[in-house]
Amino acid sequence: MLAACGLGISVYLTIVHYSTSVTLACTSSGVVNCEKVTTSPESRFLGVPVPLFGLAFFVVMLLANLPAAWRRGEPWIRIGRLAVAAGGVLFVLYLVYAELFRIDAICLWCSAVHVITGLLFGLVCFGTALGEPEAQAA
Amino acid sequence: MAVSKRQKRQAAEAQKRKTRNLYIAATAFAVVILAVVGLVIFKVAGGDSKPKPAAASNLAPTSVVDAVSNWSTDTLNAVGTSGALTVPKAISGPPLKQNGKPLVVYIGAEYCPFCAAERWAMVAALARFGKWHNLGATHSSTSDVYPDTATFSFHGADYASSYVAFQGKETASNVPQNGAYAPLDTLTPEQEALIRTYDAAPYVSSADAGSIPFIDFANQFLVAGASYDPQVLQGMSMSEIAAQLENPKSDVAHAIGGTTNALTAAICGTTNQEPASVCTQPAVQAAAKRIGG
Repeated sequence: MLAACGLGISVYLTIVHYSTSVTLACTSSGVVNCEKVTTSPESRFLGVPVPLFGLAFFVVMLLANLPAAWRRGEPWIRIGRLAVAAGGVLFVLYLVYAELFRIDAICLWCSAVHVITGLLFGLVCFGTALGEPEAQAA
Repeated sequence: MAVSKRQKRQAAEAQKRKTRNLYIAATAFAVVILAVVGLVIFKVAGGDSKPKPAAASNLAPTSVVDAVSNWSTDTLNAVGTSGALTVPKAISGPPLKQNGKPLVVYIGAEYCPFCAAERWAMVAALARFGKWHNLGATHSSTSDVYPDTATFSFHGADYASSYVAFQGKETASNVPQNGAYAPLDTLTPEQEALIRTYDAAPYVSSADAGSIPFIDFANQFLVAGASYDPQVLQGMSMSEIAAQLENPKSDVAHAIGGTTNALTAAICGTTNQEPASVCTQPAVQAAAKRIGG
């Protein structure tokens, strides 16, 4: 469910990134400013729009968190899911730093994605810890 | 019995591993939370705890004020209204007056590039009904979209007219301070009530509620956001912008002029179409049809 929500917001942010229509207005505080964040140089990473990373991340997480995926015991699925979640949350930490210290503005939609990524990471961590297969009999 | 003991040992080891993994998971999650909280605290705690009020803007060059205030009606008629991407929206509220005259209220901020764009047209439109004094010169935020858009500031400005009254408030400067912008003008309770009522649904979309620039024309028309794209002003000083006003073929004249005519039509709608020398101009009448005034 979290991955599905994150995917939905990532789709919206991807559309916003490529959309040509903009709102010709500022927020009254100047801090919450989605347009400033989504059009900043930091909105691209290695030349790729950040929303596309989010899109790919949530597609992978959606598939990796399906009940069938959790039921399978292969280590590469468990470790891969954990690694992707960890990579996602490290990227989120970079994006939060960029918003606060380089862009000087926050985007509430982006923040929602960040929170979902953090929660997903927590759930995957605990799920992986609790779901470790029992040791095989010698 | 030996098998049972081995199974019990393996089960105990598995439980130990599970408990250890849970601790690792909890620690990892806690580290992430603390990292985010730490970033926020570091950001908020950086610098003075109370933002200092910013210094007043410089005065706008007299030549620029003159160029905008004396913009020829021939040029304004030539540019028409198409340069205004959006026009004032007709609303129906209780009469808003000051000293018996319809009151126009502008609320914006110096950091805001969209306010920067709209102020050019506001100065030009209101100059057709009265006279400006002490107009400031400023530019929008250096770190925002459309950076350093050169423009006027209403902070400390005076306006006198026998047709309409004006209140202009710049709530913040263009100087970043503690993640926001240094405060400038304070809104009166009446101005706060206006923005709370009319810069909100159903007058503007919920997504745009509270946005600036916000302009209330005597509770009969309102503007929330810029009427044209500030891109046309990029890279130009105030003098360079003013120098293009009398060229009806320039993008600057087209955008600012079109918006000026639209704002003029809104003001005319509050002054019973007075003065006739302004409100009967062809471009103003064309704009009046667009805004439904």
